[in-house]
Amino acid sequence: MTAQTLERPALAVEGLEGGYAGSVVLHGVTLDVRPAEIFAILGKNGMGKTTLLKTMMGLLPARRGRVEVLGADVSRWAPYRITRLGVSYVPQEKSIFQDLSVEENLRLALRELSEFAERLDAVARWFPILKSRGRQRAGTLSGGEQKMLLIGRALLTRPRVVLVDEISEGLQPAMVTRLREVLMEERRATGLAIVLVEQNVDFALALADRYAVLKVGAVVETGRTADAGARESVERHLVL
Amino acid sequence: MFTTQLLDVVTTAGVLYIVALGLLIVYGVLKIINLAHGAFLAVGAYAGVVTTGLGWNPWTALLLAFVIGVALAALVEWRVLRRLYARPLDTILATWGLNIIVVQLITLYFGREIRFAESAIGRAVSVGGATYSEYRMVLLLLAVILGVAVWLVTQRTQIGIVARAVIMNEELAQALGINTRLVRFMTFCLGAGLAALAGALLTPLISVHPNLGVPWLINAFMLVLVAGVSLANLALAALVLGGAQVLVSSYGNPVLGSLTIVILAVVILRFRTITI
Repeated sequence: MTAQTLERPALAVEGLEGGYAGSVVLHGVTLDVRPAEIFAILGKNGMGKTTLLKTMMGLLPARRGRVEVLGADVSRWAPYRITRLGVSYVPQEKSIFQDLSVEENLRLALRELSEFAERLDAVARWFPILKSRGRQRAGTLSGGEQKMLLIGRALLTRPRVVLVDEISEGLQPAMVTRLREVLMEERRATGLAIVLVEQNVDFALALADRYAVLKVGAVVETGRTADAGARESVERHLVL
Repeated sequence: MFTTQLLDVVTTAGVLYIVALGLLIVYGVLKIINLAHGAFLAVGAYAGVVTTGLGWNPWTALLLAFVIGVALAALVEWRVLRRLYARPLDTILATWGLNIIVVQLITLYFGREIRFAESAIGRAVSVGGATYSEYRMVLLLLAVILGVAVWLVTQRTQIGIVARAVIMNEELAQALGINTRLVRFMTFCLGAGLAALAGALLTPLISVHPNLGVPWLINAFMLVLVAGVSLANLALAALVLGGAQVLVSSYGNPVLGSLTIVILAVVILRFRTITI
């Protein structure tokens, strides 16, 4: 791996504008995430966090600006091409196929089915319950188990970048800890870059290396989570 | 008499199932009602007329119909429909417009007169003491084979899982790396190909004219509305509503019989309180 490759951001967003039909939500968002870095995007409800992830994934059109993944300009790419480049997306809600089995949900993420058994073993190491309940309808899993399925499915493809939207929402602390362990372990093992959208400041700051605070579709602050006063600074934005 | 009517009921259900299957597949995955379905039926029926005219084996009409149906659908999806999926009302107008264009082109080439196609099987067989059309029995068998084949593909193969995923949540399917545009394209082609195949299968049973697809489209549309996107429900709807059509036509009035499916579907939809 060359020094240039190592320095290249896993994900970079520059001057990004986007939103829904007739409504601009993002106003010139710029940020970059390096390989093996965990980056938290924080902000109150309705500030554009989910819109930002969806625009990065190509699920919403970028009106202006650029989205780069591993050096490739993907601003106008279809979502499936971005995924195949090495990006996994864990949406916030309604994001498992309720009527498919657990195993079918996992298989959907893979293009090479010959690798499924091996990948399923990896998922089972993180979350043993997913393998034992492979034939169960995914909609009958508990909320925590569904989140395991989401993370398992996202990591099954061995992505280079994973975008995670509000994964800790509504979970018991033990489950939140387990998800955090899995993400950290995968980051250590594969150099995975993780973008977390969160309202749970404790969870986000404990996991992330850097953060950005989004307010009315614009980045109003960025910093390192290890810096003194980072928490106070973030909380001030979330209160105001 | 009873056996013959029972066979009429089940074979009519089989024919309706074959005719509606392509419409249901397109509706399920693309969430659009393909009002050109009747035109594709007509294309398939005229494939039967052409093979008869050329003196070819009548079975070749099935292959010819399917290929022409798929090719026409590929062109339409590529040049027209894929730009309209975000506007469902426009897809209805576009497919109805396509129906009119295809019917007029058929009229220009073949004229308005009624034509007939040769049946691949002209024999009768004895079933339960009744003498019955072997061709209709073969259609029933084909309906069962098609139903089982489509069910196996949707439930047991990766292609089927992908199609079901797109039906359930297209945006999420995209985010998992599924090329939903390709899924839509292939589904529309398959649905239209099945419609044309159904048209070719129908030709020995009906008189062929450019507008033959319209009444079949209406009945298929009603069956799909009643069935939702379930293959089993479609089979049940075809059996119950198709059976009622046969009985009303036999014991009542053939004109009323032709309206039976529409009337029953409206009644079912009016009183149905849960989605099947």
